[in-house]
Amino acid sequence: MADATRMGKKGASIRCPRSEWNRERLPGRRLTITDDELAERLRAGDEKALRTAYERHGAAVLYLAQRLLGNRADAEDVTQLTFVAAWSGRDSFDPQRGTILGWLLGIARRKAIDRIRSAVRDDRVARSIGAQVAPADQPELPERIVDRLVVADELGRLPAEQRRTLELAFFDDLTHPQIAAVTGLPLGTVKSHIRRGLANLRRRWEVDGAASRSRSAGSSRAL
Amino acid sequence: MATEADHLTGCTACRHELDTLRTVAGLGAESQEVRDLPPPPERIWQRVEADLAGAPAAVVAPAERRRRPRWLVPVLAAAAAAVLAVAGTVAVDRWLHRAPAETVAARATLSPLPTVPATAGGSVRVLSAGQMRVEVRNLPLTTGFHEVWLIDPDDPTRMVAVGNLSDRPDAVLTVPPGVDLNRYRLVDVSDEPHDGDAAHSGRSLLRGTLTS
Repeated sequence: MADATRMGKKGASIRCPRSEWNRERLPGRRLTITDDELAERLRAGDEKALRTAYERHGAAVLYLAQRLLGNRADAEDVTQLTFVAAWSGRDSFDPQRGTILGWLLGIARRKAIDRIRSAVRDDRVARSIGAQVAPADQPELPERIVDRLVVADELGRLPAEQRRTLELAFFDDLTHPQIAAVTGLPLGTVKSHIRRGLANLRRRWEVDGAASRSRSAGSSRAL
Repeated sequence: MATEADHLTGCTACRHELDTLRTVAGLGAESQEVRDLPPPPERIWQRVEADLAGAPAAVVAPAERRRRPRWLVPVLAAAAAAVLAVAGTVAVDRWLHRAPAETVAARATLSPLPTVPATAGGSVRVLSAGQMRVEVRNLPLTTGFHEVWLIDPDDPTRMVAVGNLSDRPDAVLTVPPGVDLNRYRLVDVSDEPHDGDAAHSGRSLLRGTLTS
């Protein structure tokens, strides 16, 4: 945390736009492999990179599958299929079009929907699947779940102070002056953290979230 | 306040902007429930691995590619071409057209990390004699010094300090004998304070992966 703050001050001014989504998290002195480096290794056929991707994003993929399919066994199957498909289709990952998380969630979503369709076709448990996909009391679109996972990931990548400020606003529902009081930051700083933090979340959402979905579906549909 | 509301009524662009920010803030508030998901179970990964190992033709080629090039061993041109073909035309090009005077075993292009000005950069050439020529440009000023590291990307807690750049844009450093460059293939240039702590400061400036 201290390191991240220092880094933030140091490199305050310019940021390489291509690496916008690869901001480093530095817990203590453990250095983090950036998304770019991971993508490069994945494309080069390094199986350990897939393992790293699983450790980083497997939870999000499993969560999405579970929410879409409504049962754990199917969700685990879809998670497995997603990472196998990601491996065999790794050449189709284009870092210019989104992050690894966005790409994996796109694959998982399609795998889950394929599974629902085939289950419905089989007419095996058509009725119960239908109920699971869109529970009558709380219907939720897959897009919204993906968006939430992407935003959560980006929130975790924000510089420490920016993240803390947004968390207090989002999760604790504090006002700007309350956040200033809690954190000891000047009110102006709180406001600018929130403004910049929201702008970062929005950019990421536009790259990986609903806005980009129609566009990114194209090339990796084969997966 | 009234004027702001009036403006929003009339201005589609601002209204859209505000709607977008509201959506993002809503997603941010919802993201709390997915912030601390439990790690995915190991059994799913084991099934993925089994699939990769068991898959026919489609995965045989990637498995070949996975083997890292042995830069430190002289390679026959024909064999090298086969390995390099997958590394991309640029690499092949460099391999074929490199100056014969200096035998380069591996090289890396150093790119700035996101917190570093985009104009910063550099390159690294590992010479077959076990030396490493590092060229850097536009590094941010430091009150400490710039140090060069070789990191194992599979386990970034493992790293080897190679030496420091002492204000020169071009330095030749000696790779400590016995260091496996197939493993320690991520080159890292860091900003180190004069704090007497020999460990990496955590402030990486440039990075690049060695390739043959």
